[in-house]
Amino acid sequence: MIKLKNLERSYPLAKEKFFFVLRDINLEVEEGDFVSIMGPSGAGKSTLLHVLGMHDHGWRGEYFLGGTGVHHLKPKERATLRNEQIGFVFQQYHLLDDLTVYENLDIPLSYRHYKKSERAAMVADMLDRFQMVGKKDLYPSQLSGGQQQLVGVARAIIAEPKLLLADEPTGNLHSSQGEEIMELFRKLNDEGMTIVQVTHSEKNASYGKRVIQLRDGWIVKGE
Amino acid sequence: MTDLQYALRQLAKSPGFTAVAVLTLALGIGANSAVFGLINGLLVKPLPYQDSSRLVLLWEQFPSQGLERIPVSVPEYLDYEKQAHSFERIAAFVSASFNLKTADLPERVQGAVVSPSVFPLLGIEPIKGRTFAQEEFGEGRDDVVVISERLWKRRFNSDPALIGNKLYLNGRSYTVIGIMPARFEFPLPLFNIQGMQFTERADIWKPIAFTKGELESRGSRSYGVIARLRADASVSSAQAEVSTITADWKRQHPKNYGDFSSFGAKIYPLQQQVAGGMRDGLFILLGAVALVLLVACANLATMLLARASARERELAIRVAVGASPSRLLRQMLTESVTLALIGGTVGVLLAVWGLDVLKHLGARTIPRLNEVTLDWTVLFVTASVAIGSGILFGLIPALSSARPELTEVLKEGGRGSTSGARSNRVRNGLVIAEIALALVLLIGAGLLMTSFMRLQAVNPGFDSHNVLTMELALPQLKYPPPANDDYVGGIATINFFAEARRRIANLPGVGHAAFVSALPLSGSNNDYSFVIEGRNSSQEKVSPDEEIRVITPDYFRVLQTPLLKGRFFSDSDTVDSSKVIIINRAFARKYWPNEDALGKRISFSDQNPQWTTVVGIVGDIKHRALDLDAKPEFYVPHTQLPSRFMVLAVRSSQDPRTLTHAIRRELLSIDPDQPVANVRTLEQVISDSIGPRRMSVLLLGVFAGVALLLASVGIYGVMSYLVVQRTHEIGVRMALGAQARDVLALVIGHALKLVGIGTGIGLLLALISTRALSVLLYGIDAFDLATFVLVTVVLATIALLASYLPALRASRADPMIALGNNG
Repeated sequence: MIKLKNLERSYPLAKEKFFFVLRDINLEVEEGDFVSIMGPSGAGKSTLLHVLGMHDHGWRGEYFLGGTGVHHLKPKERATLRNEQIGFVFQQYHLLDDLTVYENLDIPLSYRHYKKSERAAMVADMLDRFQMVGKKDLYPSQLSGGQQQLVGVARAIIAEPKLLLADEPTGNLHSSQGEEIMELFRKLNDEGMTIVQVTHSEKNASYGKRVIQLRDGWIVKGE
Repeated sequence: MTDLQYALRQLAKSPGFTAVAVLTLALGIGANSAVFGLINGLLVKPLPYQDSSRLVLLWEQFPSQGLERIPVSVPEYLDYEKQAHSFERIAAFVSASFNLKTADLPERVQGAVVSPSVFPLLGIEPIKGRTFAQEEFGEGRDDVVVISERLWKRRFNSDPALIGNKLYLNGRSYTVIGIMPARFEFPLPLFNIQGMQFTERADIWKPIAFTKGELESRGSRSYGVIARLRADASVSSAQAEVSTITADWKRQHPKNYGDFSSFGAKIYPLQQQVAGGMRDGLFILLGAVALVLLVACANLATMLLARASARERELAIRVAVGASPSRLLRQMLTESVTLALIGGTVGVLLAVWGLDVLKHLGARTIPRLNEVTLDWTVLFVTASVAIGSGILFGLIPALSSARPELTEVLKEGGRGSTSGARSNRVRNGLVIAEIALALVLLIGAGLLMTSFMRLQAVNPGFDSHNVLTMELALPQLKYPPPANDDYVGGIATINFFAEARRRIANLPGVGHAAFVSALPLSGSNNDYSFVIEGRNSSQEKVSPDEEIRVITPDYFRVLQTPLLKGRFFSDSDTVDSSKVIIINRAFARKYWPNEDALGKRISFSDQNPQWTTVVGIVGDIKHRALDLDAKPEFYVPHTQLPSRFMVLAVRSSQDPRTLTHAIRRELLSIDPDQPVANVRTLEQVISDSIGPRRMSVLLLGVFAGVALLLASVGIYGVMSYLVVQRTHEIGVRMALGAQARDVLALVIGHALKLVGIGTGIGLLLALISTRALSVLLYGIDAFDLATFVLVTVVLATIALLASYLPALRASRADPMIALGNNG
């Protein structure tokens, strides 16, 4: 599903010097895998996830997603590939504050040019699946953190991606809400979705099948 | 959810921002809408006649005598009618006034005497009755009139039985045969026609009845000529044809045209004649409002840039969940265009209100102003301007937001500020542009205002304070001409004005009272040709022709125009005494440059000269316009050339308007059927004469003020944003020992830099663009240094004051809070 070869991410410093956030990353993730990326703060975990999510384009090396060489693609082609293949869950949920739950779920579909009737059916299905039908007209500020993250996950998977990326998905939740989200992830993985999550929590990592440790930009375990 | 719904929700969520943005846009778009409405109504919209683009006016000219666009005589008109085949129809017309007598007070009603063909020529049907038949043309058959719907409503309460009934006009009975619709206006007030501009709207039309005298006199020119070009004719082909006709006259009537080698006739498209004089001013105003709109757009762009950086997280999320840059661009532009359309709607309301104010101010002096409305054309242009503005001011913020820095913004705890150096450069650039554009407008307005003040300070050659004027036209039937001359009144006319003068002069509060045939700066004028004693007229190529005024003795005392030499007229200058004239200084200088003009003699006829002696020389009076030099003029006593149309001028020691009632009473006691019209103070006459210019100054002043306000708001907004953005830096500086004045200097220094660059560019642009204003300036150079410097200092001061508040706020910040704010 994912193959990284000699991937590097750096930021320029003064006089042709660079600060490396990711160094010589070589990584393979099989389809249906559930990988947890761990490591201390500043290790490069989130950066790696954003590179995988194609939010970050300033890296060097090779990145294959489902056999497509992302490194060969133009930004517009990358955006298309991302919309087809990837869903992203954020630690801070990043729901759009001015949109209702329904509208937050609808928006990824509208950006993917689904017809209105199709969108309505897909959103209704997702609300039903996540048991949030009664909350569809509420705004994010009217939901608990756990509920917001549930919407965040629903939004990430509504366009049926093959790969779900999650950046500290339970970081802002208390433990019972966190468990609920992780159970959901496990279920999604059982249904065949590939998941890569960044986490500090050993417990959350235990929901996955594989752990990768990062330190100072290097993969130190699980390559 | 559609982009439009989201845009509306966003605007509703920030009512403060929305209100300021809508108001800014409303001012910019409303100003454009109003000025475009003026241009559309005055210059573009066809005249209210059928196929008006084929209507032309024909005027004659004597270029060597400085006479252009003068009327034609009856024999000449009849020749054009017979010989000019370029015209489908041709008609003669002349303005006329009618004393209308009903059961109420007598009233003078403005009207016109027209060829029967004028109505079919213009293609307008009456709403009731009919227009003139061909046989209702000529003396004795002309006792029919057509009246306007306005007069029908106002004086006759829309009485349907009026058709076929009699009206008493100028002491004679006429049958009303038709009523023309309210929108029908003819003749239209025209620019640049000697003695015909700013006439009132006609409400009564009577068929022409050429008199025997008129039919025989080729040199007595008093009729306007309007014609409709044939479908296969053009202005130039018609011009060629009338030039041939006038050239033939010189051969056929050498006695009449032999001296005037330059005599000719010229064809003018009617539309061009009606409002052509406003063209320059209107296009300058259009330029001005375009600048106002650009300033408003720059302002909006800075506001949206600030807003875009506050919405960075939202935009990043949208991209993360699948929005493409073009989709974000579309959404941002939908928001800015929605805002612009709301602003445009409010702008249209402002324009409607503004046009009402303008009509109130300028209806008397600007032709067709009453016709100006915000029709579908104007609304379509306004909508296009609004959408264009929305794209213009929305594009820069939209482009800068369409590719947000996802990683930084979306990472845990990421504040993700993209308002870095590039964003600040754009924002600074916009403020510089605002200042530069506002300066161009302010300098233009400054030049026009100075010019206008200088024009108002011009000495017209008389004192206009405390003088009341009103017009009287005695009807020919009641005040008949002498047997040998149709053009002047007889003894009854002389007696009426002498008695009126005597009675009015004796009224309490009246200093002096006099009559004149044409009041200075009123738009009416007359000229007369003459020969000078001792100069062989046949040796002179062209007979002199100068402007003539008929006056009663105290005229110069009323106007307080100085006597330079000789004497004023007195009651001893009678119809039987020796003929006398008074001339002005310009006349004396032109014809007797190196000798004493006093005692010199002229004659109005070179066949049997009746010599008229110059008995006085007076100061020059600006008659045509305040910005034109006084022309040579001569004055004839009313007793020796008794005109039936005279204007009363009364000097008072008090507010002269309080005399109106008493004067009317005295006039009615002499002739109970005699109305007065156009009661105005002399100050009002002067004010009306500079009406169009006043409107340009007023509008440009308002637009420049709006631009100044917007630029100040812009610089205030940018400085406030800068202070918020640099709060952390300011906190650190203060923690390190910076004093309040250092912070103040930091912020104001930044503003000073923007103002400096903006005014520099603005001065350059002003130097390039003010040349276009030259046509509207009087007594001031388009590059007047004092105006440039003064306006620049004013703008710079206001801009710096606008940055002072945010600077003050920054200097009073608590370093702990400032640091915490970013901590």
